[in-house]
Amino acid sequence: MVGLVGRLWNLQYKSIVKEASGKALAVAKFFCVLHVTNTYLCTFALAYGPNMVLTFNLTGDMFLAERLSIKFGKVGPGDIVLLRYPESPRKVMVKCLLGLESHSVTYVVDPMKSDRRDTVVVPKGHVWVEGDNIYNSRDSRQFGPVPYGLLEGKVFCKIWPPKEFGSLMKSGMKDPDL
Amino acid sequence: MRLLSYMGQWKSAAKEVLDRTAIVAKFLCLLHVTNNYLCSPTLVYGPSMLPTLNLTGDVVLAEHVSHRIGKVGTGDVVLVRSPVDPRRILTKRVVGMEGDTVSFYVDPMYSQTTVVPKGHVWIQGDNTYASSDSRHFGSVPYGLIQGKVFFRVWPPDGFGTLEQ
Repeated sequence: MVGLVGRLWNLQYKSIVKEASGKALAVAKFFCVLHVTNTYLCTFALAYGPNMVLTFNLTGDMFLAERLSIKFGKVGPGDIVLLRYPESPRKVMVKCLLGLESHSVTYVVDPMKSDRRDTVVVPKGHVWVEGDNIYNSRDSRQFGPVPYGLLEGKVFCKIWPPKEFGSLMKSGMKDPDL
Repeated sequence: MRLLSYMGQWKSAAKEVLDRTAIVAKFLCLLHVTNNYLCSPTLVYGPSMLPTLNLTGDVVLAEHVSHRIGKVGTGDVVLVRSPVDPRRILTKRVVGMEGDTVSFYVDPMYSQTTVVPKGHVWIQGDNTYASSDSRHFGSVPYGLIQGKVFFRVWPPDGFGTLEQ
């Protein structure tokens, strides 16, 4: 009698474990696909803060950024990009790309204090990024040109708030050379 | 009648192909995750890390965990994405972390001292005569570090951990 109960319990236990591991495997496969998509195709992020005020709201917008353009070198001036902070490798920021390597970039050094402009040639392998809101943005004007290897994605579509849903191909910034 | 049997055969063959492909895909997935997040073998070549690494090429194992948890320090040999050419990965030794003061010789008689800025590292090749490194392109952001080299697999007489 005990042997029979024991055998029944074993059978049930085995089938429960089998089902649980089957479900766990399915979840793991789903996360794998999600992860690969996130890393190589497209990712979403939340942007907040004052430094891209013309394109994103102060309190936070969600947007999609794709990663293929960066890997194939298809970014250019005017694109909004996601990149790592050169000073804090774990933080990510959203800025407008203004110049690629060997471009000559003219920027306003400190718009709060004066109108003085400076011109710099972006060195090989680097890019120049600035926030839309040059009065309140920490960007290449402070920490210099950023190595291309720190770029993470190109922003192409805003998804939140819903009334501002839509593509975001170039930033709302006026021509920076004027 | 024969057509139906052919279709049946074709279906089962297609299913088998799909199953095999799924197994291969799952294996590649696992390989990819291991390569990117755990440990990967890399071929490194060039004169800039003599005598630690050979000129003609060594296969080394690099782990990708330390740099994500901030455990890369002075003296480690690391794989770094080149700030000058984003498609190349360099193998250099970390000589200074953020806040360290680094002295280096620009030419044999003239030495310069710099402080490594926040979030950056100073990398140099062991063979200072034939290495293009931080002495030429400055401190490199920590975010460009891809992994830390800890073991050499090939050539067989160099098998083992790397000397400091």
